[in-house]
Amino acid sequence: MGEVMELNRGGPVPRDSDATDRVLFVRTSDMEIVNWDRSRIVEALVRETFLDRDTAERVAEAVDQMIHRSRIQVLTAPLIRELVDAKLIEMGLESARRMHTRLGMPLYDVEELLVAPNKENANVPHGPEATNLTLAENIKKEYALLAVFSQEVADAHMRGDLHLHDLGFIDRPYCSGQSLEYLKKFGLNLPNSLANARPAKHPEVLLAHMVKFSAALQSNFAGAIGWDAVNLFFAPYLEGLPDRDVEQLAQMLIFEYSQQAVARGGQAIFSDINLYWEVPKHFQDVPAIGPGGEYTGKTYGDYEKEAQRFLWKLFDVYAEGDASGRPFFFPKPLVHITEKFFQTEGHERFLHRICEVAAEKGNTYFVFDRGDTAKISECCRLAFKLEKSDLEDAKQPWRMRYSALQNVTLNLPRIAYRAGGDDTRLFQQLTEMMELAAQAHLQKKAFIERLLSQGERGPLSLLTMNRDGQPYLRMHRVSYLLGMVGLNEMIKIHTGQELHDSEDAFRFGLKVIAHMKLTADKLARKHDMHFVLEQTPAESTAYRFAKLDLKYYSPAAGSAVRGDVSRGEVYYTNSTQLHVGSPTNPVDRVRLEGLFHPLIEAGAITHLWLGEERPHPESLARFVVKIFRNTHNDQVAFSPEFTTCVACARTSRGLSETCPHCGSDDVEGITRITGYFTKISSWNKGKIGELHDRQRTAGYFSDAPSAGAGAAEA
Amino acid sequence: MTLFTKVGCEKCEYVKERVDLAALGVAVEELGPENPDALAHLAWHGLVNVAERNLPILVLEDSNYLTGAVRIRKYLEGLEGQAA
Repeated sequence: MGEVMELNRGGPVPRDSDATDRVLFVRTSDMEIVNWDRSRIVEALVRETFLDRDTAERVAEAVDQMIHRSRIQVLTAPLIRELVDAKLIEMGLESARRMHTRLGMPLYDVEELLVAPNKENANVPHGPEATNLTLAENIKKEYALLAVFSQEVADAHMRGDLHLHDLGFIDRPYCSGQSLEYLKKFGLNLPNSLANARPAKHPEVLLAHMVKFSAALQSNFAGAIGWDAVNLFFAPYLEGLPDRDVEQLAQMLIFEYSQQAVARGGQAIFSDINLYWEVPKHFQDVPAIGPGGEYTGKTYGDYEKEAQRFLWKLFDVYAEGDASGRPFFFPKPLVHITEKFFQTEGHERFLHRICEVAAEKGNTYFVFDRGDTAKISECCRLAFKLEKSDLEDAKQPWRMRYSALQNVTLNLPRIAYRAGGDDTRLFQQLTEMMELAAQAHLQKKAFIERLLSQGERGPLSLLTMNRDGQPYLRMHRVSYLLGMVGLNEMIKIHTGQELHDSEDAFRFGLKVIAHMKLTADKLARKHDMHFVLEQTPAESTAYRFAKLDLKYYSPAAGSAVRGDVSRGEVYYTNSTQLHVGSPTNPVDRVRLEGLFHPLIEAGAITHLWLGEERPHPESLARFVVKIFRNTHNDQVAFSPEFTTCVACARTSRGLSETCPHCGSDDVEGITRITGYFTKISSWNKGKIGELHDRQRTAGYFSDAPSAGAGAAEA
Repeated sequence: MTLFTKVGCEKCEYVKERVDLAALGVAVEELGPENPDALAHLAWHGLVNVAERNLPILVLEDSNYLTGAVRIRKYLEGLEGQAA
């Protein structure tokens, strides 16, 4: 009975016989039909719970009687377990019932899942492999909430006090950033692989290794897979190659990632490539690795031109878009803007080019590394700030691999509902919730360490592989993310004003985040773990929190949540951002949101919604320079909107009901959902509500290079 | 004006010992794990990253700022002189 079993009444049944006379058969999970034997209930209870044999016998006997008394024609495995569990509750054996829980889904839910699309993550398409993924995720979620996290943490998640991200991927870390140098030095040499490959000798092989390793990593991490300085690390392989070949390689790289819809559950790899026009200071004098994993005798500083050539070609591909002119969803190009960028020859022309791509397709992410800061960015906004020891690692760049183990997000508006306008209670509850989030991290850490302890024969063998004297996943370097959703609504509930309404409201928002940062620092010291704040992308969390607060905190929540309550299209504002619909001009939005960014070590971003507007690249370029010089904003992305026609396969600007080219109404809207582009039809209701509210930059970035007054004022 | 300092910062003490901050109306905000107000105020002026490298920081009435203990001391002494 430890295994799932099904039990049917079998054999010919005499008309007048009593049910107890009939022979009972059990279909086990081993696909075997065996005679009903209640002792298997006993064995299961003894094995799975702490019950002694006598008690287990009593439970089994009671269940046996119940089954024989019943008139049920078909008994199923879930039903038997439910009967046993009901009996355990009746006998006051709650902890045994918990341990004996059966994980799974109701028939109705499975049917819904198979026929209706998954809208929790717009990056997961609908299909047999995707539903396999979702089914597995659902069981792992249940497992996580029952067996990995304490009841206090699990209940806080269920209530919506906080959100434990990627519960369906409980047995893996959250995300990772790495270096191509690892593959260049060690080849594609993975545990359990059927064939190992030596270090690549040709650029296209290096690309193949990169893409395959990304797919392997995707199977071991819940979220984004980021790569550092991709154009620079490819450069030693590109010397002497004609432009046409470099162009081809750039095209292959982008198409390979954007068409990886054959990977996990049909989900494209959430991939980020970090790119530099200049050679970053910390790589300038590092010996370069070239074909065959051999040192070339030069340093990366010598490869600036090759790196720039490749970078330029990558943006040519982004500019063109896919065969239908749509923007590529992945890999996301993160261009780092540093002080050295402005000292590097040709930066004006390159800035113009990436702004052109930002204006036309929206792909470019502008990552601002000011002063001596260096970062690897990935996911929707996550960044790993490189500390002194990391920069020491830069001398051997293959060691530069970073990971966040988990993300736990706090529901800030809920804290405000509970505080009832009292500052002391507000900050006290905020602290308590962060401490609970830290407990969640400790519990996940313990679970992952248990899996990792099995080494290269365990489920996380890839992360334990040791090619350079330390495991691929360097647990002592991982970060533990503390996110937040709905600062804007929290402030509104608590003070009556939104962040953009007044200086007082805004400064109170800063105090909340300052409190969170200091608490994270304290928790880090207490537990010797790297707790850092991150702006949660909250693709589904902002919707989930709003729905739960409407349920538990109405009527107050009725006026606090955003969107259209009557249509269920409700949400909270992401993280520390100003509300998407606030009438704040782009300059002020970038400046004000940027004031939070230095407090949020693990990454922050400002989105500017271009809508139909097609800014002049020069106007954007001036704006970008001024963001770098005059604000503290960490990252900015410009998001245009598109309509792509299924009938004529053409793409047009703006969101339309019909195709402006052929008039067909078989069209798809495309824009950024959080930190990536996707089709609007796959969005959850909360995000649809947000899309309606988004304040577009409409006309702010003038088409004329000499105008663009607003952009010039940043 | 606000002088941002922190515990254990010798340069901060240097300024505090040599200038009568109260007489000049300079508010002192001590950054520390129990003071989110000070950190929020620092963030409002966009000086969080500056404070990681340089303390003390003197934020002037016009929101410009000065770093460097000697520079701050001289600036404040100049104000004292004007007041006298």
